[in-house]
Amino acid sequence: MSVAAPPPALAPNPLREGLEQERVPDASCLVIFGASGDLTSRKLLPALYSLAHDGLLPAGQTIIGFARPNYTDDAFRMAMREACDKYARTRPVDEAVWENFARGLFYVQGDFGEAEGYFRLNKKLQECDQTRGTGAGRIYYLAVPPQFFPVISELLGAEKMVTDPERGGPFTRVIIEKPFGHDLQSAKELNRVAVTTFRERQVFRIDHYLGKETVQNLLVLRFANGIFEPFWNRQYIDHVQLTVAESIGVEKRGGYFETAGITRDIIQNHMLQLLSLVAMEAPVAFEADPVRDEKVKVIRALREFPKGHQTECTVRGQYADGSVLGEKAIAYRKEPSVSPESRTETYAAMKVFIDNWRWADVPFYIRAGKRLPKRVTDISIHFRPAPHPMWRKLRGVTTRPNVLAIRIQPDEGISLKFDSKVPGPSVRTAPVTMEFRYATSFGAEPPEAYERLLLETMLGDSTLFARRDEVETAWAWLDPLLDIWAADPRPPDFYPAGTWGPEAADQLIERDGRKWRRP
Amino acid sequence: MNEAALEADVRVDPTAIEKSLAELWRGNKDAGDDALTRAALWNVVAHTSSTEMHTTASEILGRASATVPQRTIIVRANPEAEPEIASWISANCHLVGGGKQVCSEEIAIVAGGDRIHRVPPLVDALLIPDMPVAVWWLGDLPNEHEEYVLSLLDPADRLIVDSAHFDSPADLLLVERVAEKTTTTPADLNWVRLEEWRSATASIFDPPDMRGRLRTIRRLRAVAATSDSGIFGEAVEALLFAAWLSAQLGHDVDAAGKVAGAAGSIDYTIERRRQPSGAGSLLEIEIEFDDGCSASVARDPERGILVTTAAGKISMPESITRATSGRPEDLIVRQLKQARGDQVLLKVMPAASRLAKRIS
Repeated sequence: MSVAAPPPALAPNPLREGLEQERVPDASCLVIFGASGDLTSRKLLPALYSLAHDGLLPAGQTIIGFARPNYTDDAFRMAMREACDKYARTRPVDEAVWENFARGLFYVQGDFGEAEGYFRLNKKLQECDQTRGTGAGRIYYLAVPPQFFPVISELLGAEKMVTDPERGGPFTRVIIEKPFGHDLQSAKELNRVAVTTFRERQVFRIDHYLGKETVQNLLVLRFANGIFEPFWNRQYIDHVQLTVAESIGVEKRGGYFETAGITRDIIQNHMLQLLSLVAMEAPVAFEADPVRDEKVKVIRALREFPKGHQTECTVRGQYADGSVLGEKAIAYRKEPSVSPESRTETYAAMKVFIDNWRWADVPFYIRAGKRLPKRVTDISIHFRPAPHPMWRKLRGVTTRPNVLAIRIQPDEGISLKFDSKVPGPSVRTAPVTMEFRYATSFGAEPPEAYERLLLETMLGDSTLFARRDEVETAWAWLDPLLDIWAADPRPPDFYPAGTWGPEAADQLIERDGRKWRRP
Repeated sequence: MNEAALEADVRVDPTAIEKSLAELWRGNKDAGDDALTRAALWNVVAHTSSTEMHTTASEILGRASATVPQRTIIVRANPEAEPEIASWISANCHLVGGGKQVCSEEIAIVAGGDRIHRVPPLVDALLIPDMPVAVWWLGDLPNEHEEYVLSLLDPADRLIVDSAHFDSPADLLLVERVAEKTTTTPADLNWVRLEEWRSATASIFDPPDMRGRLRTIRRLRAVAATSDSGIFGEAVEALLFAAWLSAQLGHDVDAAGKVAGAAGSIDYTIERRRQPSGAGSLLEIEIEFDDGCSASVARDPERGILVTTAAGKISMPESITRATSGRPEDLIVRQLKQARGDQVLLKVMPAASRLAKRIS
């Protein structure tokens, strides 16, 4: 069978030059599988509306909800309008923008496992191509639990709803949500299923952390500034800390969390993404494969936890009764859908090493937990102390290592701590900080992560999405530890809700003569 | 020192402005008020020539500093006034959440008579190092005092004007000369107002099957709202739009303002339509193609949107572009948020000057 050559690339629209909306995707149909779910109403539709509000969606962009409940187009529009009223970044909803946006919003009822629904969906898609000029481009957003991915994928293929520009057809892309598997084997299976219907470059694995402005700013900080990179290595950096703290518990997700735990839920994806951005080498270009090549090299270089000593460099914890932000908080084991004897970790801390030229023997301390004192995601780079303590004989002079702290959320910003002389006749020092805060410097609220990631998918740029090898390499590194934890009959270390985790986590870092930074 | 004290105007000796500012902040620190942060991303020098303009500039930049913290220097220079020079300092403070306030400094310099020539070096000395400098020229550009303008622009990265206030095509030429002769990049609030029109027009040609039509444009009609006065500035927004289209599509505008594309002459028409309000703003644009089809963008003031439609054989759903705020502080902020000068405007200005000959 001959394969048609891809159509020649269209010249960019010269009238877009210099506009804030310099990149506007071609109109397409975005189908949301699981359109009646929480993700759609809390995140996806509000994000799409905000894109429309900011003029970033093309005329004719069409969104089709697909789910089991029986809605009409109008009922779906009404439900989504309520969602936007509640959750959109750009509120109150602009009536004129909504009216135009809602004209491209449709609903098709169907069961994920029945071909009939796909037939109706396909008919609707073809109708929209005619009436809305969507050019047969398709994006399928699977806002569904992972167990539905194989059947949806298979039926899309069977109904010939997947095309590929490299075979002469219009584009089709599929967005999948984490968890990307439960372990290496299931991740491989998920990826195998994906590539039976789609090619790898058609698969967009969404990790919403990568859509955050501050996470993207990590690359700008490191590679658009000349001053940091010379110091960004084992010669100058003593250690690195990464913290992802949540003040909330498992809420209604107890059933899911029981099978996942914080390591699968946060560390395997968000934290390893952050770690790889902090530690990666400079990519040759800010493009999908060069960036992801460098990220995966970091994950490949993660040192295996020493066999038989895994528990010495890791801590797992679970929250007990306590209070968070002044409110009483119940223990994890008392949460709905959680076993009263659960051994699932709601907190994990690890000391990890990256075995490469840049980071040899520099410890990366990472911790993630639920029901910690506050919600914060923070990366801190702790530099080595000054080599010669020339003021050691003077009282009042205590020099401390410099710390570069990158606050991912909330109150996003960067601060650099250094020592300064306290004004006066004697030599006394005190730590001071130079601070950059997004809110102070740029005022306006940054776009939501989902806005950026949806737009990138429409533009066909997968730089901010996880690639298959990243996901599988991360599982390959974590699996042995998760197996050992699973086989360990002891419960995790308990910590009162509202504290920074179990004592063992403090000991993990204090054994090395260091302390967790209070983020 | 509290916020009220910071925001009050304090008259200071022009030779000791920096020292007085340092004392102002030290007083605040001594009072233990750590909730105030002094911040600046830009030096913004507003040049005015009357008390009303001075007040306007102070209010607008005070509001703009909430989004783009800046050291504001407002100059009021009047060669006809008494020979004197005086200065005041104050701060613009804004709540940023968590009980914290960000404060920007404002310095006012009033000069009259021959003392106005002392203003440029004084302003130069007051600029925060390593921060970009924007000079916002309020009102008509004094093209008869070009040297004074150029001396104030010497340290400036950007000159902000509002061509809606221009009284002749000579003002456009002066801005063009600034771009040619200096390292200062011109910026025009009228150009910022045009962004929604550019965006709406660009959206017509986003669909792949519409892209080819860019080569088949045979007529452009831009309609500007004008008042009874009919001053030149009221047509500049429409003029800039036409110049933009020609510059981006490679249309040639000759010295007499006639336009030609690869396939021959193209009819560019700028119509003035008297309106009771909104003088100077674009009302409608229409683009006609070789095959007789057309696309248009029109303002719907009630809904605050621009509506894009097509006629003829073109299959394109009606689309809208949200009209953005035209408040001066928002236009200034949009300018200051651009790290680099607008390279497209630089391409557009020569064409605008030539097209101006057809309407002046």
